[in-house]
Amino acid sequence: MNALTATHLSVPGRLHDVSLQLSAGRLIGLVGPNGSGKSTLLQALAGLLPAEGEVSWGGQPLETIPILDRARQLAWVPQEVQFEFGFSVRSVVAQGRYAHGDDGAGVDEALACMDLVALADRPVNRLSGGERHRVLLARALATAAPIQVWDEPLAALDARHALQTLALAHERRTAGGTVVLSLHDLRLAHCLEEVVVLHEGRLIAHGKPDTTLTAALLSEVFGVKARHEPGLTLFL
Amino acid sequence: MPAKHTENARPAPDPTRFSAGSGFAPSVPLVAIFLVLLLGLAGASLVIGDVRLSASQLVAGLLRQDEFATTILWQIRLPRLLVAMLVGAALSSSGLVMQAYFRNSLASPGLLGVSAGGAAGAVVAIGFGFASVSILTVPVMAVAGAVVATGAVVALARSGASTERLLLAGVALNALLGAVTSYVLSAHTITYERNAQILFWLLGGLEDRTWEHVWMAAPIVLGAVWLLPLGRPMDLLSLGASEAQSLGVNVRGLRRQMLALSTVLTALATAVAGTVGFVGLVVPHLLRLVVGPEHRRLVPLSLIGGAAFVLACDLLGRAAGNLRLGIVTALVGGPFFLWLLRRRA
Repeated sequence: MNALTATHLSVPGRLHDVSLQLSAGRLIGLVGPNGSGKSTLLQALAGLLPAEGEVSWGGQPLETIPILDRARQLAWVPQEVQFEFGFSVRSVVAQGRYAHGDDGAGVDEALACMDLVALADRPVNRLSGGERHRVLLARALATAAPIQVWDEPLAALDARHALQTLALAHERRTAGGTVVLSLHDLRLAHCLEEVVVLHEGRLIAHGKPDTTLTAALLSEVFGVKARHEPGLTLFL
Repeated sequence: MPAKHTENARPAPDPTRFSAGSGFAPSVPLVAIFLVLLLGLAGASLVIGDVRLSASQLVAGLLRQDEFATTILWQIRLPRLLVAMLVGAALSSSGLVMQAYFRNSLASPGLLGVSAGGAAGAVVAIGFGFASVSILTVPVMAVAGAVVATGAVVALARSGASTERLLLAGVALNALLGAVTSYVLSAHTITYERNAQILFWLLGGLEDRTWEHVWMAAPIVLGAVWLLPLGRPMDLLSLGASEAQSLGVNVRGLRRQMLALSTVLTALATAVAGTVGFVGLVVPHLLRLVVGPEHRRLVPLSLIGGAAFVLACDLLGRAAGNLRLGIVTALVGGPFFLWLLRRRA
């Protein structure tokens, strides 16, 4: 079963004719140089950006899914967010339950997952960049949505929280969820099951990291020389 | 709008849930406290004036049993009181909505020029003699003027725009629309009342308000009722539009309602009291200091608090030798605004 399908997806000037099928229960990484269209693709897949072509979730065309149902199926974490108002960390994480009638379920667990219990009463506009990101991840986890789409969740985090986030992503996947995340660190891409490579708004490759991120591809897409070491593992 | 129905169909959220451990007092007692405060101020503004009424005269007058008190209350003080409360509720809640819309706590109807647009519209209606056609002409033209101003602000500074961009757009619009108001009044009014008229519309006031003004401003009540359920989705929107949409908010529909409400509320307030500044800035800010940033609480409190603030300013102005309302709110709000700017820097 496909969790996310894109058919001939285009956003003028940013994304060109991307067709993609992402299976349910997988942990998928999206890589590509700066400006290659990673965020655009993720936003279009999440239904947050007007795009040409078609997107479907679990086989259902996106435009037929009502907005509250969308929120129960897919959670989105943006790359950067500025908070103008001083909502408490807890109340921002609890916003993840909006589409569930603000039932507050799983909010404490989500706070704990992201090491936010001690910060729960702090205003979000006084947090550091990394802490803000953890709040957004916790809010996405609190939605309990089976599809999680995270735009560069690891870039702002310290080593421990980055690994913790990857471990959480693995957990979601094991529980049958689908996690799609964009990232810059190609070594971390080897921790994922699939990678999708974007270059200048086009889909270049899609497959297992070991066989996809070849020296030739890295040189062509990223302009770097790399020694290919399969099976690189990281420990939490 | 099907999405709106689904939202309304959700189970009523427990208002105390998010206060758990967050240090905010629950909002129901606060609403009660604010209502008592408002009632106290309303009582004071009915008894205090050139002629001071006793408590028994107040009751007798309200029940139309004492001719003298009846005249004072029903012809002068009650219309003024009601207009003041409606204007305060409208401007304050309108400021709150604009701040959530632009995700900027310095947005407010006065600073962004929406009040100036409403005044220009109202003055055009009066200056060209349309006002005598129907009681609806002035408010409708005020709404038209405010719509023009709101449209210009939205075009110049989209949601999430920098503070500089937003405020500079407001400076330009205030200058332009203030000039329109002054020109129309100087071209169409008799010389001796020209300055008073220009002053009324540029620096609002509550002098000589009649029941006609109360009826003109009455739709503010409808706007307030419409606004009440929007508090919760406004929380999500105020932290980012696409994030709010991903969490289940119908962002496009919500934004349309917010723009329409803030524009119409400001326009109606301006149509009956001229441009009264700073209410939409000061009241939501003070309330956030007391109850925190959650709009579910801020929306009802900003309605009551705005009404109380304008009543208090009006009482202050009357006590200080009939200072106009717009002067008092500017004297309070101007320094407050400067303090906010300094705090943000």
